[in-house]
Amino acid sequence: MNNKVIIWSVLFLILLGLYVLGEGLIFVEGSRVKFAAILLVSITIYYYIDRARSGEEIYLRTIPGLKALEEAVGRATEMGKSVLFVPGISDLDQVETITGLNILGHVAEHTAKYEASLNVPVSKSIVMEAGRDICKESYLRAGRPDLYSDNMVHYISDEQFAYAAGVNGIMQREKPAACFYLGKFYAESLILAETGNSIGAIQIAGTGSMAQIPFFVTACDYTLIGEEFFTASAYLSKKPELLGSIKGQDIVKLLVMAMMVLTVVLNGLFQTGWINFDILSYL
Amino acid sequence: MLLKRQIPLMIVIGVGLLTLFGNFINNEAVRGFVDNDATQWFDIIASFAIFLGALNMLKLQLIKIIKKQKNWQYSILAVAGFAFAIFAGFFYRGANFITIADIQDGQLAIVSGIIAEELNETNPYDIKTKIMGSQDEYEIDKLFMTEGNAKLFMEKLTPFVGVINLKSKPWGAHVQTKGSLFYWMFINMITPLGATMFALLAFFVASASYRAFRIRNFEATLLLVAGIILMLGRVPIGNLIPWWVVSIMLMFGIGAIAAPFIKERKILLGIVSGGIIIFIIFGTLMGWNQTPPALLSIPIIQDWIFAFPAMAGSRALMIGIALGIVATSFRIIIGLDKSVLGG
Repeated sequence: MNNKVIIWSVLFLILLGLYVLGEGLIFVEGSRVKFAAILLVSITIYYYIDRARSGEEIYLRTIPGLKALEEAVGRATEMGKSVLFVPGISDLDQVETITGLNILGHVAEHTAKYEASLNVPVSKSIVMEAGRDICKESYLRAGRPDLYSDNMVHYISDEQFAYAAGVNGIMQREKPAACFYLGKFYAESLILAETGNSIGAIQIAGTGSMAQIPFFVTACDYTLIGEEFFTASAYLSKKPELLGSIKGQDIVKLLVMAMMVLTVVLNGLFQTGWINFDILSYL
Repeated sequence: MLLKRQIPLMIVIGVGLLTLFGNFINNEAVRGFVDNDATQWFDIIASFAIFLGALNMLKLQLIKIIKKQKNWQYSILAVAGFAFAIFAGFFYRGANFITIADIQDGQLAIVSGIIAEELNETNPYDIKTKIMGSQDEYEIDKLFMTEGNAKLFMEKLTPFVGVINLKSKPWGAHVQTKGSLFYWMFINMITPLGATMFALLAFFVASASYRAFRIRNFEATLLLVAGIILMLGRVPIGNLIPWWVVSIMLMFGIGAIAAPFIKERKILLGIVSGGIIIFIIFGTLMGWNQTPPALLSIPIIQDWIFAFPAMAGSRALMIGIALGIVATSFRIIIGLDKSVLGG
């Protein structure tokens, strides 16, 4: 066990101890497990970020949907058609929207590089402003600020189906060669993806909305499922500290799995009367 | 750079940490900020930002019309719709209503009759009771879109009442008041258009299901079989399917799985048909006609698929998504992921 693990473990125990001591006075009563979980997750992720920063190589499996991003933009360029990016219908208070906008930055960099036209219809004004900033930065980074225009990120409507109708209209009229649906989606997901499918566009989707994932899997060429979507910005940026956070996230998942098995075993033993310790009362 | 990057980043880190750990701090002010103020601040900023979006939409559509770009005709409709919504929201309320008081002696029955006729009510006595029960003035339960219509009705009542006033619902509240122009636009234009888009979903679900259920490989076949069982199990006819039909389906399923491993078709046919015959004889001898086993009941199989394999898959996804959200939020809160501030 290296020194850093010991330091972080001690810090975890100290903070947890402080919480237990101050429970009811400074800290809220009955949230001990929640606090410990947040602390554990944060420390684990930070530990792996730190390791990645110090030069440790992080292995990432290939995610076909993310690998295909550049191919899709390239295809649109070859066909002389535009690229459509839909960041969902939620505001910036949703992590999915933020993740979608992060990926927009990478897509915009490719469209700048290939000189393809980019169209980003949005349904929230704050998302429009953030999207413009991100695209501007990407075009600047790609060395093509001359190709950037504020109009490429434009507002349609806050209303769910008015927005869906607007985006469908753009698809039918402009027939983009590549469609990206990356953000938070509701019932409009299938309407958009099926329209994209009908015009023959290559489609890449990703969302954290559980109910919409099957629709995207059915109608799109590539779908970023579950955590794949959230790792996209780290995966594409290749920044070590961001890659480290993905490894930390995977370790947390391993801990969750171990915790689940432990809970099942301990609860089984409690139910059969072998032990008197009821784990469920602590969780 | 300081204004555009450092200060926003500090705000993100500060507010992020406060919101995260504020959940655990036993302090009313902190709790109030986390539960109410922070979200209200966001709502206020978002409300102001709507002007940016609206102006952007208007600008793009007007440019399209002025420059007569491709499909510019549609933009006329968009601008007209925008103008109409602004007019209905800020300039024309509608939602006019009439109040009456000081009804002349002996005229109550006539007034009640006129009002009942206007409201299409068959029993004027109810109106009469309501008028008699009102304290100062009685508000007629009808909203008029235009003042002209209201005045026409007022003319009918004027000879019989001492005081008659024409009023309107207050600004702001009018958008949710039946009888206002905005409400009319919402109910008669926006709601049906939204419903039309939503209805399209049914057709898209059909075409997407067709593609998903096409038998191409083992996974698609599994999806098809699970889908059919779920569909049958959720409708009344699923309960009526006898055990022997399910047994036959089961044997066909086993045959489909075994098919790639058995090259001789006759042997496969023998296994499947032999299995069916054995199943039916065994079931009949066991008295399954009276009490069929749960394993051969479509609704029970459907319940099992829904409660176990499907639930396990969706929970695995849910845990992955939750961890993804936690890790992304953590990266943003500690200022590691600055891409949302523009790269």
